[in-house]
Order: sequence, then C-alpha cells, then structure tokens
Amino acid sequence: MVGVVIVSHSQKVAEGIREMALQMSAPEQKIIAAGGMADGGIGTDAFQVSEAIISANTGDGVAVMVDLGSAVLSTETAFEFLDEELRAKVQIADAPILEGAISAVVEASLGSALAAVIATAEGARTLNKC
Amino acid sequence: MIEIQVTITNTSGLHARPAAQFVQKAATFKSKVKIAANNKVADGKSILAVMSMGLKQNTQITITTEGEDEKECSKALEDMIKSNFGEE
Repeated sequence: MVGVVIVSHSQKVAEGIREMALQMSAPEQKIIAAGGMADGGIGTDAFQVSEAIISANTGDGVAVMVDLGSAVLSTETAFEFLDEELRAKVQIADAPILEGAISAVVEASLGSALAAVIATAEGARTLNKC
Repeated sequence: MIEIQVTITNTSGLHARPAAQFVQKAATFKSKVKIAANNKVADGKSILAVMSMGLKQNTQITITTEGEDEKECSKALEDMIKSNFGEE
C-alpha cells in the first residue's frame, strides 16, 4: 500500500491532517506527519521529512503532501537523502494539503499504485465544496 | 446489471468519511459501480467523483452495479447506507 507523508510548516497542522486522514484509512496504512522544526518551531526540516518517507514506505512508494513554499524545497532535499531505490518511488503531489491528503489516503487504501494516488490527490484541487 | 434506489439517511450525507467508506466497500467488489443523483452520474469507486456529487441527507440515489458479483456488491452498499455508516 502506498504511504502518505504530510509536510507542513506547523507540527500541529501536519498532525491534525494525519488525525483526520486516519478516520478514512485502512488499518495497516502508513500516514506519517512531518511538521515543524526539530525544536517545535515553524518551518520544515528535510531530515525529518526523509525519516518520515522511510517510515511510510512499505515497498509500494510514498506520496508526499506539502503546504507552502519551502515545504517543497525541504521535501526535494529530503529526496536526496534517500537511497536510489526509494527515491524512484516517492513523489510530491501538487495538491491542496488537506483535501489532497484525504483523497490520497482513500485512493491508497484501495490498493492503487503511486501514480493513481498522486493523480487523485491532484484531482482534489478542483473539488467543489458548495 | 442491478439498479437500486436508496435514500441517504445519515446526517452528514455522502461526504468525507462516509464517502471514503462507500468507495472502500465498492472497491472490494469486481463489479462496476455507478451512483446517479441530481442529474449527475459518478464512478462509485472514485473518491473524488463521489465527493463531487455533494450528496446530502435525504437525497435519493440510484446505485447501479454490473459484474460477476453485482448482487453482493449492491446488497453491501445498500446495507451500508441504510445503517447510516455507523453514525448515531
């Protein structure tokens, strides 16, 4: 099953989104929050993100959800810390972090491949709410 | 092909968690699943399609299942909706 990592500048945001996503996940599914800096401050930490990706991977790859700006940069840096095999199986979703994470988690719970999980997360951009 | 009419009775409608439960249940069957309501049709195995339907409480929907396990699939989805997705 594809794992999902949530990268936010805020630890609380990342954990809150994870908490919501867990409501819709399969029991054995990996959803890892990587929010804030090591000292709890606001920011993104490439090392923490790479650790999260490693924990989220069960062999089928990892979809990474990001919030804003340097979350993308830190995630790209985190990719460089990974071994080649895993690096080929991780991808950032260009999607709104909350809607994308929920959609990705549900898609992954169906046993879909990484490309389908990313496509569903990115499809959440055009989801109408009312 | 089996077609059934069901009314959404749970308070929050077919959104978020119930939508996820519906799609996850549908995906356990081989049959194709379609939901029709309000002149729209959605793939019952696509979370985005189901959430985009915006199905609120008291909406009547038509579920069409087609495939070798259509009977079981139709029954499982109907039971799930009628049980209000485990909501109070």
